[in-house]
Amino acid sequence: MSDSASATPAEPFRQRLIRKLLYGNVDRAAKARARVGLAMLAFTAVFAIIALRLVMYGVMGDTHGRRGGAQDAVATARPDILDRNGEILATDVKAPSLYAEPRKLIDKDEAIELLTATLPDLDPGEVRDRLSSRKGFVWLKRELTPKQQHDVFKLGLPGVGFLRENKRVYPTGRDVSHLIGLVNIDNQGIAGMEKWLDGNGLADLHRAGFATDRQQEPIELAVDLRVEHALRDELMKAKEKFRAKAASGIVSNVRTGEIVAMVSLPDFDPNNPKEANDPDRINRLTTGVYEMGSTFKAFTLAMALDSGKTTLNSMWDTRTPLQYGRFRIHDDHPLGRAINTKEVFTYSSNIGAARIALSQGIEAHKAFLAKMGQLTRLRTELPESASPILPRHWGELNTVTIAFGHGIAVAPLQAVMGIDALVNGGYLIPPTFLKRTEADAMKLAKRVIKPETSDKMRFLMRLNAEVGTARKADVAGYYIGGKTGTAEKVINGRYAKKKVLNAFTAIMPADNPQYQLLVMLDEPQALPETHGFITSGWNAVPTGGKVIARIAPLLGIKPRFDLPPSDRLILATSRENR
Amino acid sequence: MRIIHFLVICALVISAAYVYRIKMDSTVRTERVLRLRADIREERNKIAALRAEWAKLSSPARLQGLVERHTQLRPVDANQFDALKNLPARPPSFIKPNDPDPIGAMIDVVSPDEATGSIPAPASASSTPAATEGVQ
Repeated sequence: MSDSASATPAEPFRQRLIRKLLYGNVDRAAKARARVGLAMLAFTAVFAIIALRLVMYGVMGDTHGRRGGAQDAVATARPDILDRNGEILATDVKAPSLYAEPRKLIDKDEAIELLTATLPDLDPGEVRDRLSSRKGFVWLKRELTPKQQHDVFKLGLPGVGFLRENKRVYPTGRDVSHLIGLVNIDNQGIAGMEKWLDGNGLADLHRAGFATDRQQEPIELAVDLRVEHALRDELMKAKEKFRAKAASGIVSNVRTGEIVAMVSLPDFDPNNPKEANDPDRINRLTTGVYEMGSTFKAFTLAMALDSGKTTLNSMWDTRTPLQYGRFRIHDDHPLGRAINTKEVFTYSSNIGAARIALSQGIEAHKAFLAKMGQLTRLRTELPESASPILPRHWGELNTVTIAFGHGIAVAPLQAVMGIDALVNGGYLIPPTFLKRTEADAMKLAKRVIKPETSDKMRFLMRLNAEVGTARKADVAGYYIGGKTGTAEKVINGRYAKKKVLNAFTAIMPADNPQYQLLVMLDEPQALPETHGFITSGWNAVPTGGKVIARIAPLLGIKPRFDLPPSDRLILATSRENR
Repeated sequence: MRIIHFLVICALVISAAYVYRIKMDSTVRTERVLRLRADIREERNKIAALRAEWAKLSSPARLQGLVERHTQLRPVDANQFDALKNLPARPPSFIKPNDPDPIGAMIDVVSPDEATGSIPAPASASSTPAATEGVQ
């Protein structure tokens, strides 16, 4: 600008003339001040806008800049899943995936030809479709092997590249399938604990783009891989031997509610997601509901003993079948005499159990089962669960049949929770698949029966393994107690005599239970060595015995020999303490 | 006045140079940090891959297959456990200082096929080829 020396009066005449011609007769000082003021105003406005925008970013957050679509899938990483001893059950490894940028391709036909020749399992039509699209980015093949990557790299095609993705691998394969679930190709959990992980904040992390590195805390489950494998191995053998349709088993810690092992055969390989969709491979322990048969007699007896109206020596009339409308309740082994409560359990008398339940009344029966968590849907960390099937109108006949486990269908995991409460001193603890300490479990626990009743249930379970239906499972040294269950399956609305669902519930050691094992066999067939019998005592019980012999050392149960029989060890000490 | 101007310009140039150096230095360091981070990530990925492989190799299913195929080991029986307090007291040593080690001599004599433990090897499990097939 020319106004540096303009305001001085010593301005030459000619210069003043030019200035007047150019700008008119204005006070230049005032003009300069106005200009400076304008500049200040402009800068203030600019900085105010910047400051305001910054505040807006700070308050509302950035709505742009999130990665979406294909790259999102690249970013997802999941935490490792470990068993209770720190063995890896699921982990991420990086695998290269092949992508193309169709706009950068020079010769489409050459690219298709070379790629399908190198990777024979690519479908040429599909590759052509994808490469002809107008998108900037298309996946061609996910999860290449290092050799395939090398081969494609050597083709030297422009516009084709690799991205390394996290691939979920399950090194232990089928052993933990139902428990851990699986993920889809974009590393999102679709079943089991994997889905639970997504539901507990991992999905949000992914969306925010934070879950890109493997810096996440691993998840520790309650499962013990060694026990899980031993259980699965023995169940596989039993399923094959008895030609059963399905076999399943649970090992649970009775004091913490932790599920130490859970197997449901047939299962699937989580590394091969196609298998998992087969409806035959559902998790029968949480998704299926079954009439548990005589296993439910444990609840009936516990209810009666807990009420104080019945003792172990109360007598029950089982001389004649129980007639109820058009139904007749029989016993498998009719004794033809009055029997006491202990014998009702060891001979697994349906008539006895029915009479015991009737003596308590319908409402008390219903209330007791509700208290034991058998009438409501049990929810755990696993997304798969099922509601029990209850009678619509609970009449006397329902109480009669439910007393021995027919007419009510519950998820086996639910029954396990109930039996845990019967033998652990009377605390109902919701089962969990995550690690839990005894103290934490006690915070969640709810007292449902008296400790004395729990002692009597331990005694009955042990007695059943000494003289009753569970004799074949009495592995020397572990002082096992147990209850068998044989439930006839309903086929077309009738109970089928030859199709049964067998269950065996064992507690170990019976004098101070630490673990409970449930073994279930679906439609086992009669064998020459079972003398044509298909009841639980001939197949589920020996299987349970084999499982216990294998898992007891793994669970750290010390073998003890020469222990006195149950009436002296459990009942006598129980009376002494009170 | 002119001197002050000159000094200020000098200060400006020097500070600009200094800032440039700091900037350059920090860029170099940032690059190094990024490179190290990439290396760490790479190492972590390798460790994860190796851990996955180890978990696969040591999975109980695989070990059981190997044990059944190649060894005569069997699951532990309850009778094979005992408490430490049931161990008898250590007998006094009768070996003189310069005698050969008697246990070492015993190990040299024992054949590798011999079953150990409190339960004797089954009759069929002697080390003939036919018996080995039977085990498989």
